Amino acid sequence: MRGLWLKTWYEVWLMTLLFGCALLGFSALLTYVIPRMQEGMLEIIERMPFVKPFFTAMLGTELGDQINARMLQAFLWVHPTILALVWAHAIVFCTRLPAGEIDRGTIDVLLGLPVSRRAVYYGEVIAWLVAGLVILLLGFAGHCLTAGSTPAPMRPPLSREMLVLGNLYCVYLAVGGLAFFVSSLSDRRGRAMAVAFAIVLSSFLLNFVAQFWAPARKFACLGVMEYYRPAQILQSNVLPTADVAILLSVAAVAVVLGGEVAARRSICTV
Amino acid sequence: MSILRTEQLTRNYGRRIGIQGVDLEIGAGEVFGFLGPNGAGKTTTIRLLMGFLQPDAGRASILGLDCWRQSALLKRDVGYLPGDLRLYPWLTARKALHVFGKVRGVDLTNAGRELAERFRLEFDVRVQKMSRGMRQKLGLILAMAHRPQLLVLDEPTSGLDPLMQEELARSVRELAAAGHTVFFSSHTLSEVENLCDRVAIVREGRIIADERLETLRGRARRSVQLVFADQQSADAIAWPSFLHVVERDGLRCRCELEGPTAPLVQWASGQLLADITISPPDLESVFHKYYQSLPETP
Repeated sequence: MRGLWLKTWYEVWLMTLLFGCALLGFSALLTYVIPRMQEGMLEIIERMPFVKPFFTAMLGTELGDQINARMLQAFLWVHPTILALVWAHAIVFCTRLPAGEIDRGTIDVLLGLPVSRRAVYYGEVIAWLVAGLVILLLGFAGHCLTAGSTPAPMRPPLSREMLVLGNLYCVYLAVGGLAFFVSSLSDRRGRAMAVAFAIVLSSFLLNFVAQFWAPARKFACLGVMEYYRPAQILQSNVLPTADVAILLSVAAVAVVLGGEVAARRSICTV
Repeated sequence: MSILRTEQLTRNYGRRIGIQGVDLEIGAGEVFGFLGPNGAGKTTTIRLLMGFLQPDAGRASILGLDCWRQSALLKRDVGYLPGDLRLYPWLTARKALHVFGKVRGVDLTNAGRELAERFRLEFDVRVQKMSRGMRQKLGLILAMAHRPQLLVLDEPTSGLDPLMQEELARSVRELAAAGHTVFFSSHTLSEVENLCDRVAIVREGRIIADERLETLRGRARRSVQLVFADQQSADAIAWPSFLHVVERDGLRCRCELEGPTAPLVQWASGQLLADITISPPDLESVFHKYYQSLPETP
């Protein structure tokens, strides 16, 4: 297994570092900028009430009449740039095997070694779990860098922020698990990435549609943002365990199914 | 003891035939040539042996282990060079031996260094900067460094210059002499002619011949060129049954000899000939016959 991790490390360290640095930079910037936008946001909501459902969908909680300071901090964790970076890393990483290896033809050399497909697959899964943690912690480090510039009453306690980070990690796992499953069915990495991205994007959009269109509310449970509640966590200091459990279950089922498909399928590179 | 064995091994790709009912048995220390034109089923057979493809029917085993179900286990003693070799662009020979050694649980550095010297491969050049020949050499080193009991080579000479082809042949002979088995797939006869003990010919997914090279040589015809001394003797010639005329051009005549050379020499001594040339057995003609003249499979 150590040899496989070494191979994965050679391949992913740069990508993970770049994603981590991007998250660090953006979260530092957003942490600095968001408190300075509070008045502007309130004004927008007052003048354009239809914007409110967008915020509700993103934050995973009802905004009520006022956006308070704590709730405003949650915007950092649902900002499209942050979410896009987190999801992109999960999708790019999790389509490397088997689709990526088959696509570039290196699977022949890899599986010519005395390792089972399951060992190769779960070795990659472990590396992905660690890489995900690394990029999220780098993002959090970026947030901490500029958090000092935020007025004290707006600053949420560290414990609540860690819970948000945990919820975001679960979202990362669910997206990655899905990408692993799609990848295990595919011979082309580009196709696997496109399918995984389309699924995640659709589930993301479903949340927004559900805010405006009643029939879509029945399917809102299929949206990934339905289980991501940073605003609620920052306000209540309680981890939404049911949501976290659902995200983790989706991740576990998808990863295990992907592993079984990868272990049993015929692999053809020509 | 058989190192590799297949029984009625079959694999199709939808409606397209991959291989049909392939039976092979290869013993220890044998260099086995697996010949066939492009698309005949050579690579499919190898992919089944390596456990990349699941057979539709039949079974394959290496060292007594099932190629599909015990694929990881049997690869401890197998070295494999894919036909269309793709390596990680960040690899160097040094890194590759380190990583592959870790996976195999053995230190491959010294053996790899020796092979790199033999194949004249630089140790610290990245794959992305390597020529095709250099990549092929690295693939060979990675397949051979752990001195596997069975070495599976799928068209190993592609990209290698003649000197390196000769070096590869030497390495293969040394491995075979030490009791290792080599499965050598190729679409050109000349590659396996001087190397293999036994050859199987695959065509349209079926084995159409599996014989020792000597047997095939015995069956091959020699090309004979006769130059008659004058037109009169050329016209008056009575052709013996073992000599088949292929082409006549004035005093010059090209024939094919069936069977041994002694009757030909005896017959020629009684003719008025200005010159006679007898070439070695033409294996190429045997293979062409196999490739071309077999009736279409239903």
